[in-house]
Amino acid sequence: MKGLTLAAAAFVLLVLGSALALRVYRGNKEFKVFLSAFAGAVLGYAVAFPLTPPDLGVLPAGWLEPAAPVDFANGLLVLALVFHGFWCFAYFACVSPSMGVMIELRERGERGISAEEALAMHSHEQPMNLIFQRRLPKLVQGGYVREEAGVYRLLPRGGRIAALGAFLKRLINSEVPLAGSRTC
Amino acid sequence: MLKGIILAGLLIAAWALVQGMVFRLRPPHKAFASMVAWYAPYVPAYVLLYLLTPPHLGLLSERFARAGHALGFLNGLALLILLFLTGVLFYYHADRSITVRLLIVLARAPQQRLSLDQLQTVCGVDVLMQDRLESMALNRFLVLRDGCYHLAPKGRLAGLGGTMARRLLRLKAL
Repeated sequence: MKGLTLAAAAFVLLVLGSALALRVYRGNKEFKVFLSAFAGAVLGYAVAFPLTPPDLGVLPAGWLEPAAPVDFANGLLVLALVFHGFWCFAYFACVSPSMGVMIELRERGERGISAEEALAMHSHEQPMNLIFQRRLPKLVQGGYVREEAGVYRLLPRGGRIAALGAFLKRLINSEVPLAGSRTC
Repeated sequence: MLKGIILAGLLIAAWALVQGMVFRLRPPHKAFASMVAWYAPYVPAYVLLYLLTPPHLGLLSERFARAGHALGFLNGLALLILLFLTGVLFYYHADRSITVRLLIVLARAPQQRLSLDQLQTVCGVDVLMQDRLESMALNRFLVLRDGCYHLAPKGRLAGLGGTMARRLLRLKAL
């Protein structure tokens, strides 16, 4: 239970730390903020674990794990799983086009949104729509794709991710459309 | 505590195998509902296994089998739930990632090259938005009325969560 308690404390600090850091971060690689916050939380957890008493001064005797390595590893595993969930939720909430539509609909009140209006939210008549505007430059910067005179070419690094992605899609059979409309 | 961790790990591995087979043999119309339905029996299975098996599971040393019964049970149950949610997220990473879609489309293109226009035609916002709107309606986040999408109660709740998250976390939204 000591591991879980410390993991919970580390997670709260991780959320607060990443929220604060994102307010001052001006770059385009937010994942680095999340990973740094996670690294900080793991470090804090690993340092606090051996320095604190087994009962943390508050835990009842029945809630103590006698094997410290199990307690430590369990807390770390839970911290990693909860962080992963938080990271996914943060990206889904802030970046997902689906969430964008739901937030827009909340702001509209009783007024609905047509498919054309939802589409227009991300198009804005620019040469590159907003969904691509966010992702393609990152793929270029990360060395996954190269842009040559307006043509995007896959680099070996991107090819490996594509192969892994295609393998995972085959694994879950997601190339068969679930909603009947998926074309890529 | 280790007993609960081991049981949760084994049960999640079994669920992942079964779910993988379900996806391959009979792709479900609603992925999340299918995952929940196939996962649900594992919760009572965990409770039964935890109650019916010895604290050392026949393989753990005495040192690792001394934790409190309630603590070990609840910790294992929490792990079973967390691992399931991680499995669900894994599915959505593989299925929905726009970036991975872009890379796969590029990998399958002639000479692995596409212009921006070609990329946007094959995997552009119109294809994606139509897919997402239909998917949200299918999963009852939205309802289609008079040609317009409206928030269903589930979507209202999700939208509230999203609004709060966007206030807390300043990621650059689309």
